[in-house]
Order: sequence, then C-alpha cells, then structure tokens
Amino acid sequence: MTDMDIRLTVNGRLQHAKAGVMRTLLTVLREDFGLTGTKDGCSSGDCGACVVVMNGQVVNSCMVLAAQADGSQVTTVEGLASNGELHPLQRAFGGTWAFQCGFCTPGMLVSCHALLSSNDNPSREEVLTAIAGNFCRCTGYQGVVNAVQQAAAELRSANAEAVLQHD
Amino acid sequence: MIDSGAVGRWVSAPGAYDIVTGKARYCPDLDFPGMLIGKLLYSPHARACIRRLDVTAARMIPGVIAVLTHADIPGENSYLYAEPDQPLLVVDEVRFQGDAVAAVAAIDEQTADAALRAIDVEYQALDGIFDPLAAMQAGAGQVVAGKDNIMMHKTYRTGDVAAALASAHVIVENTYRTQWAEHAFLETEGGVGLVDADGGVTVYSSCQAPHRDRMQIARALGLPESRVRVITPYIGGAFGGKDEAHVQIHAALLAHAARRPVRLIRGRRESILTHVKRHPFIVHCITAATRDGRLLAVKARAIVDAGPYSNATHEVLNKFGEFIGGPYTVKNLEIEKIAVRTNNPITGAFRGFGAPQAAFVYESQMDDLARKLGMDPLEIRLLNGVDTGTRMYTGVVVREGKAMKASLRRAAEMMGWQQRGELGRQPATHLRRGWGMATILKGSGMGRGLPDHAAVLLEMHRDGSVVLQSGAADMGQGIVTVLAQLAAESLGVEMSSVHVVRADTAQAPDAGASCASRQVMVSGNAVLRAAVPIRDSLLQVAAEKTGVARDRLVLHGGRLHVDGQAHDLTVAELARRALFRGYPLQSEGRYELEYPADAPEVTYRYSQEVFQFCTQIAQVLVDCETGQVAVERLVAVHDAGKMINPGGVYGQIEGGVAQGIGYALTEELRVTEGHTLNASLENYVIPMALDIPELEMDVLEMPEPLGAPLGAKGIAESPIIPTAPAIRNAILDAIGRPLYQLPMTAERVLSALDAAPCADPA
Repeated sequence: MTDMDIRLTVNGRLQHAKAGVMRTLLTVLREDFGLTGTKDGCSSGDCGACVVVMNGQVVNSCMVLAAQADGSQVTTVEGLASNGELHPLQRAFGGTWAFQCGFCTPGMLVSCHALLSSNDNPSREEVLTAIAGNFCRCTGYQGVVNAVQQAAAELRSANAEAVLQHD
Repeated sequence: MIDSGAVGRWVSAPGAYDIVTGKARYCPDLDFPGMLIGKLLYSPHARACIRRLDVTAARMIPGVIAVLTHADIPGENSYLYAEPDQPLLVVDEVRFQGDAVAAVAAIDEQTADAALRAIDVEYQALDGIFDPLAAMQAGAGQVVAGKDNIMMHKTYRTGDVAAALASAHVIVENTYRTQWAEHAFLETEGGVGLVDADGGVTVYSSCQAPHRDRMQIARALGLPESRVRVITPYIGGAFGGKDEAHVQIHAALLAHAARRPVRLIRGRRESILTHVKRHPFIVHCITAATRDGRLLAVKARAIVDAGPYSNATHEVLNKFGEFIGGPYTVKNLEIEKIAVRTNNPITGAFRGFGAPQAAFVYESQMDDLARKLGMDPLEIRLLNGVDTGTRMYTGVVVREGKAMKASLRRAAEMMGWQQRGELGRQPATHLRRGWGMATILKGSGMGRGLPDHAAVLLEMHRDGSVVLQSGAADMGQGIVTVLAQLAAESLGVEMSSVHVVRADTAQAPDAGASCASRQVMVSGNAVLRAAVPIRDSLLQVAAEKTGVARDRLVLHGGRLHVDGQAHDLTVAELARRALFRGYPLQSEGRYELEYPADAPEVTYRYSQEVFQFCTQIAQVLVDCETGQVAVERLVAVHDAGKMINPGGVYGQIEGGVAQGIGYALTEELRVTEGHTLNASLENYVIPMALDIPELEMDVLEMPEPLGAPLGAKGIAESPIIPTAPAIRNAILDAIGRPLYQLPMTAERVLSALDAAPCADPA
C-alpha cells in the first residue's frame, strides 16, 4: 500500500506530508514539520499534551490519523504568537506561574486560546472545563485560570479601544 | 542584603518565553544528524528464567544498527547509585515485569519496533514471590538467589516504650495500608546519547542528578568519568522518579555501540511498568497518651514491599522512621522497619520519601486519639506540638519550630475551624460534610552524616551580563529561576542580565541531586558566596572611580548607587573597568550544610535538621449512597523559610496538594501477581482540573538558622504530605467511620459505611 499524500495548513502555512497508515497528526507535526512544541505525553488521548486546533475543534493530535488531517487547518502552540509578538495569553502564563516544567503548557495554551476565541470573559468553571482534558502534574490549575482571566481582560480592553478608534 | 530587587518578587521564569512558544526542547524534541531511535525489550513476566536469547534475526533487519544484550555491555552490567543491584540488561533471570532484556537502535521507530519483535527470547516462567508477608517466612524461596528476602531490618528505640504503654490512660492501635503510587511526570524518562570525536560520550538526560548519572554511565561504558558529559535539557517533571538513573544509560550504551546519536524515550505504558513506585507500606501502630491528651509513646512496625532491587528503599524507610512520631514531643518511641524483596514493581523515591506514608499513620492516630479522649483535633495537636528548642525523639533539637503551631493556628483561622459546623453537616439526606486536619514536618537536605554540598561558577562579562553554571537539575521545580534571582540580587543587576546554563557536567561543578528539597538551600547559598568576590571587584573599581568610601556604595538594578541615590556609573561600565584592571569577575561559590560543633548528638542516623512545617485542613462532602468523596475546600499553610520565588512556592504547594488529593482518593497502581493492570493515564486515575478545589494557601516565612545566610528551607516535598491524612480525618468527621487504607476509593468508603451506615449527625 502506498502512503497517502496529504496537504494541510499549519499555522497559516501549507504543508505536505506522507501519511502512512500508522502515522498520526502528532507525529507529522513533530517529525515532518519540526513543530516539537506539541508534546507526546501518553499517545492515548488521556493527557492533552498534544492538543491542537484542527478545523476549529480542539483535538488530541495523537488520536487523529494523519490521513484524517488532509485538507485541514491546524493551529499549534507555535502559531499563537504573531509577527514575533506573544499573544496576551502566552505573556500571562509566564507571569502567573501557570506552569512549572512546562511540558503541558503547549496543549494547555491551545485549549485556552480556543476558549478565548468563543468566550471573551470566561468564569473559573468555564476555564476549568476547557482544560478538563489537559493534565498538569506539577502545579495544578489555579495559575492557568488566573492567566486566562488576565489575558481575557487585556483582550477585552484592547477590543474596546479598537472599537473606540474605529468610531 | 536580600531585601529588594528580584528576591521575594513574582518574577517570570527565565525559560518562560521558550515554554510558552513551544521552543523549549525536552529530550524527545532533540534531534541530531544521523540520529537513531533506541528502544528496550522488557520482560512480559514478573519472574522467569531466560532459556534462550537470540538477537541474530534482529541484527539482520535493514536499518537496525545496534542490538545489545548483557554480553555487549563494556563495563558493569548493574546500576543504581547507592547499591548497584539492578541489571541494565538481564543475564539469566527476569525479576519484575519491567526488567530490560535487550536494547536496539534503528533508523526509525518502525524499524526499532520490528527489531524488538525479531528478538527471540525463550522464557521459562517461574513462580514469583508476591506477598511480602509470605516472603519474610522461612522457606519462602529467594527472590534474588543468594540474597535474603529481607533487604533491610532495623529497629530504633528511644525512652522506655513498655513502661509508657503500661502507664497510659488511652491507647489507639491500628494497622494501615498504603498503595503503590505513580509519579506520572508528564515527560516520560528519556535520554539522547552522542559519541564524541575522542571516543567519549555526551548524554542529554531527563534526570534529577546529572553528575551522578555521569558516574553511572561511565561505569556501564567502562570509561573514566572524564570522558562522559551529561547535559540536562528542559525536563518535564520528576518528583523523585528520575532521581535514580533510567534509560539515559541505555541511550549511552547504544550510541557507543552504533557510533551514532541515539534517542531513547520510554512510552507511557513502559514508563509506568518500569520505573520505581512509591513503596506500599503495612504499618501497625500503637499510640499512647495520658488522660489529658499528652503523647506518651509511639510504637510502630512497618513492612514495605521493595520489589526485587534496592533503589531508594533504605532512604525511604529511614525517612519513614525519622518522621513516624510526627511534629510532636514523644519521649518514648520504637520503630521497626522491614523491607522485603518480591517480584512486584520496583519501588523508590517519590516526593517526600517515606514521609507521606508516615504522616498518614501518625495523623490518623492523632484523630483517633482525639475522638477517644473527646478532644478537639486542633487542641490535641497544639498540646503536643514541637517548638523551637524541642529535642525530638531522633535527638535533633528543632532550631526553628515556631511554624508548627503557627501553621496550625493560621490554617484553623482560614478554614473557620471553630465555626465549621455552621455550614451544615447534612446538606441532603445522603450527603455528609466533615472537616479534618493534618500537620506535619519534613526535613530538607540529605541529613546529618551525608554529604550535602553544592558549588556554582559565576562570571560577569564586560557588558555586565552574567553567566551562572550550576549542576542542579531543574525538572520544573524552578531552581534555575531561584538561582537567577539570587545572582541578580547579589550582583545588583536585572534578572534578564543573568543567564543560568541548564546543568552540564562539562561546565558546572557538582551540586548533588535535586532531591530532598535541598537545592534552594545549598545551591542558593553557593550563589551568594560566589557573588562576593565579583561584587568586591565592582565596588573596588567604583570606589576608585568616584572617590567615595565603599561602605556608601551599593549595586542595584544594573547601576551604582551612592548613599541610596542612583549614580551615572552602570554595572556594565564597572565590569569593563574591573576587567581592564585585572580584578576577578569570575568565582566559584561552594556551600556545605554545616552543623554547629555544639549541636547535640543525633541518635537517629542521617536525621534531617531543617524542617518544613505545614498544616492542611480539608472540608469534604461524602455521598453515602455512592461512597464518593468531594474535597470542597482545602486550606494549606506552609513554612518555606525565606521565600525567594513566591510564584514557584505557591505552585509547589498547589501541585503537591493536587498530588496529595490523588494519593488520598484515587491513585493506585493495581498489581496482581506482579502484573500491573492499569499502566495508562486512563486507568491510573489522577485528579484533573475539575477535581481539585480552589486552594486557600498561605506561606509563613520563618528563616532557618542552619541554612544561613539565605534562610530558605525548600518547599518541594511538604505539600503532598498532609493532604491524605487531612482528607481521611475529614471523612472520619463526616461519616463517623475511620479508614485505614489508601486510596480511600468510593468502594472503601462504602465498605466502611456498610460496617456502620451513615449515622445522623450529632
């Protein structure tokens, strides 16, 4: 059986890969595209270290076959900063000690980033629900809640300012 | 001098940018030209002898570059840092399900897997020995031929326990059982081996002790330590589980054999099956007190299942016995400690060594005692608690002990302990609410009589930037941040001017292991010492340049200050001038925990003498129909000594409590006849974001005289220790039934209720 050629857009860039039957989106991201920010914590969809956004949905990339990702739009942790400028969420994670070892952080950030794209003022419960599948063994989740709410406030005030300027 | 600048402030970790952008590289992210993928073949049996081991077919597979068995190890085929009794690759008998039999390196993952499948091993299954109590009996057979199944048997006595028991008004006597627990660091064990041009090896290692890894790798390769270099990249958690060496030795062996880079990363299932677990204990404990609740005696006997190899079993039992009396004044104490070999999983270091198991026992005993006496749990603890100057049952005199009672009082205040019943003990017919506390102490450092030192190299460049070489591994606990803060503060520069090189044995002096909550104390103080001659050089130049006496000059925020006023001269300018004059701008700082000459004799060997005190109080809601326990609130008050990095300290507390909640309620490796049944993160149940309440935390800062001048105590271990007994005591308060086994699963709570159904609250 020949490997399927797949094309997908990762962080805004069109990429090509060979999708062998056993290959996952995670392995393609890490091995073919060098995007090692996305981590492999369990290879079984239990820890959330490999979370990316695919076609608007938060997915564990270790549970997505590479062939399934053909034609998709994917955002990884490397795609959160734009033009070298950190997203407010990324800055907030550093300041609130939302991590210790940092291995869960890429998946955690992507989950939280997806939350903020649909909810500009999430409650503690809404943040915890959004990261319910992201396992952190070092530091718990309070720092993440603080970071998300801090970033949300910053984004809201930036938006309000933009609206004012537009008016 | 430590009162401004970077120290004590919420600073960002130096690695924060790398981590939030995905640039931080951990072992699995490392890639080198020509790199191979390494894998190990593990035993599927808990015990078997190897009749045939044939790797010929595996070696013939195209793309397989190296296949190793025990016969291919150039040096010693046994490891473990204290007592090397575990084979790197088994010779003739596998003794637990995680014993490694062969190692392969191939051009990719699939080829490496094919090589493992092609290795022909004929096992003859043997009857394993799985029950530690049975293994202790005569005629049980030997787990390791020629070695007694009893790996360790020691008893420590102080005072007159028999007389104290005879005179006691009240005695509680119970048997406790604890479980195998899994570290579940998110990055599994890994290593990348590289062969140097001169025949030496460089190994990137996900570890806690790079210099000790170097020793073990050198032994296995038969090389002098001078030809082995160990580098720590970013490390994804450890919690004691990477204190002992693991696959970094095999990665080095494979690279050495293949003459190419080899990356060897354990999969999650492999990781759970093969690395040490927290020791399961069976503890029989008698605690005696007077009519008014004063402790008279503690007598305990602990039997632990050690698995087949030694690992940190001696250390774990040593700490268990050292802390079994708790943070209390106990004059009469007897502790018998027995470790037994079995064919069950190997066991070793895990956050707190044996202290969490000890705390589950002594803090449960305290509440049972309080109930028998009709005393308030807070009152009996305050009555018996140690203080500054108390001589412990170990012989140690507590140098700074005010935090014991202070943490109790503060936690009680935060929880509203005196008003606790007002919330309602039975919010619905089937629900019962309860409150429970636990207060503990845990020592920092290696303990008296063991080497406990660290050194660092500090250098300032002509532009005022600073590089710090430390051999202390940062597994996420944050030692790199703390050392950067201290270097910045001591040299009067911004933290962003300090670059801490992640531990590299070719450049950094030995700091010992990042374990026992010790690095902030030893490496932190080493940085303060290293800074002194450099600061002297800068101030000497400043004094010469300004003509102002040195005692009026201070370096702060990258600038000279004269009488507290900022001066035009920058630290960078001073550095440039100092170099021009040949004043030293590099220095080694070395610190050893030194015990005062007049310190009283310690009767319990290797006792730690710097204590982290803390109290946690839990509020739980028990569903009497399902047995489910919900932790509604948890208050944690911890003494950290001088707090260098508050963000890290609070993070350590929260993370430790989260692990403690798992240890209390759900986490248990289920092992039957040596086979682990739940080797996955799906089936080994760890609390996630929605399972942990918003913690209410406070930190007391009681400076530690022994760790002077810094005064920091470390905070890594204590947070996990009181959580399980606090929850146990809250369940007891809620349902009126004591539990004596961890974890306190819904099934166990239900069976406690079956023995006596939910009583209506008083």
